[in-house]
Amino acid sequence: MSSQHVLLSPAELSYLHASLSLQPLPLRPDGRSPTQFRPLVAETGILPGTNGSARICFADGTEAIVGVKAEVERTVQPFTQDTQTTQDEGETPAEDERRKEEVGGSDWVEMTVEIPGYRDDDPTTVFLGQMLQEALLADGEFTKRLRINGRFHWKIYLDILLISPPLSYPLPLLSLTTHLALLSARLPRLKSEGDEDPLFDDDWAASTYVYPRDNNKKDGKDGNNKVVARPPVTLLVMAVGNNIIFDPAREELAVADVALAVSVGEETTTTTTQTGGDDDVDMEEGSTPGKRRLRLLSVRTIDPPSRLTPPGVPNATNTAYTAPTGTAEAKTQDGARTLETERVEGVWKAPRGGAKVMVMAALVAKVLEKGGVADEVLDGLEAVDLG
Amino acid sequence: MPLDTSSYSLALLRVDGRRWNELRRINAQIRTQAAADGSSYLEMGHTKVMCVVTGPSEPFGPARVGRTGAGAGATAGASGGEAGVVVSIVVAGFSSVDRKRRGRGDKRIQELQSTISSALAASLHTHLFPHSTISISLHVLSQDGSLLAALINAATLACVDAGIPMTDYVAACTAGSTSTYAANDESADPLLDLNHQEEQELPGLTVATLGDSDRVAVLVCESRVQVSRLEGMLAVGVDGCKQVRAILDRVVRDKGRKMVQEGTVQKGVGLEDMEVD
Repeated sequence: MSSQHVLLSPAELSYLHASLSLQPLPLRPDGRSPTQFRPLVAETGILPGTNGSARICFADGTEAIVGVKAEVERTVQPFTQDTQTTQDEGETPAEDERRKEEVGGSDWVEMTVEIPGYRDDDPTTVFLGQMLQEALLADGEFTKRLRINGRFHWKIYLDILLISPPLSYPLPLLSLTTHLALLSARLPRLKSEGDEDPLFDDDWAASTYVYPRDNNKKDGKDGNNKVVARPPVTLLVMAVGNNIIFDPAREELAVADVALAVSVGEETTTTTTQTGGDDDVDMEEGSTPGKRRLRLLSVRTIDPPSRLTPPGVPNATNTAYTAPTGTAEAKTQDGARTLETERVEGVWKAPRGGAKVMVMAALVAKVLEKGGVADEVLDGLEAVDLG
Repeated sequence: MPLDTSSYSLALLRVDGRRWNELRRINAQIRTQAAADGSSYLEMGHTKVMCVVTGPSEPFGPARVGRTGAGAGATAGASGGEAGVVVSIVVAGFSSVDRKRRGRGDKRIQELQSTISSALAASLHTHLFPHSTISISLHVLSQDGSLLAALINAATLACVDAGIPMTDYVAACTAGSTSTYAANDESADPLLDLNHQEEQELPGLTVATLGDSDRVAVLVCESRVQVSRLEGMLAVGVDGCKQVRAILDRVVRDKGRKMVQEGTVQKGVGLEDMEVD
């Protein structure tokens, strides 16, 4: 959302940048620690007319609602299927069946984002929607769940509404809300068998969750059945100086050197490690408090609004500051050139160039850290009552 | 799904079990959102609407104005001496039974926007805020008839929460008639507060009045109806608006009392004169 300007002067930006790049800990305007998320209020199942819905309110007042609707759609049969099987001589019908089951189209999910004050074809909203959809599909697991039989599948429509004005870059909020809505999403139970035209149980109480739960394992806190797999979350991380800051507010993003959207999913092998005995994975996990293996799904750089901020003028090159002399003109031209190359301490200058590989790697590593922010966020979301 | 009108004449009960003059359950909240200047949430039966008001504030530069002109909302009120009221409605794709996506350029939504915008501009004291904009954004979460009425009520509540001076509540309600345009039966009853099914089958109108008075602020009738039925429908509608106004007023007073008790706001001087108990 580079069009979203923050009205800060170069002096203010410089101050913010300096306080956020303080070592060892940055000083954030709202007093949070670098890895701290904004506190949030969440609820699910708020709209009975949808398959699943969720609402999240961040403490700064931003609020989003996500509704999930599902429709049965006919699966388009790939034309080349027969020719492929004849080519792969060794493939048995069983293998062919298995491969068919794994296939899931990326057009089985449709995501729309509505932000007040922005048109729905605005690049910002389209980019946000694509980013969230990408994370969901990168998993590869989600579309498999939507398969009904060889001929039909569920088409999922995810409508994301930002209720409040966009006070900060809404990506984390929208991602977390989508996560909860998908967790609470339920589909009617299938009664028909095989490749028949699908027939569903009209008893909603018998419906199944898109992300199934393990009935044997109870969550300690509220008696929720433990969710076996979870949809991905997308986190916003930024780097200022040598500091890595999570969930930046709008003003913080205005001085970001690099901003990344990192999508993280859960390793699907969690079920086997939870139930299974003593393989090496389990031992590795025994040392960490969170029994979760995180998987990186996608990374996107976000054009931070800091690139469009006006630069400050150092005193040395400021003609209004130095006494005007006969050679003032030549001097300013000189100064303009030095302004392009040098960075003066305490004078704001918009960051130039792309993100460095080392910085990107550090950001991603910080997200995937065991017991880190992603773990913390997923733990927090697990505590939400899924009705 | 044809409405079984014969069963109505037998028991005088509607499809959802109401009598002709009964409203659906109205549940409303104000100040639902901390970041906004004013906000509200309103349920009329299964119609659920959220409203967020920003302003009165300075319009955001030429880019913002251009965007508004491109179809993001409907404006009412002159730009010079009075505040403009910009209404934008977002109908969520999941709000109806079958998912249907409506763009912002949708003519029906544009008409709703301009109706609400002109109705509120007449009630709000816009002359107190020259060169500014009051932007009202409405979100439809669930639809079951009486959409315009619910939107108007929610917008009124949010404007009250935003503290924008206004003449009185603009309370809205729908009314219909049990007979269709073609059937010329004399025993037709007027109906109050139509749900989606009745709205599809029967002639109906939306009416909004200014507070307790009989002054009609909005009157929208989009169906064919015999002119002899109109008076009865209007009378029932206006009566319903008074009931709605009482409900809205109670919501505002309850919230105000709660805020005074919690110490969020100081008890005002004017508040002592009013009956707050």
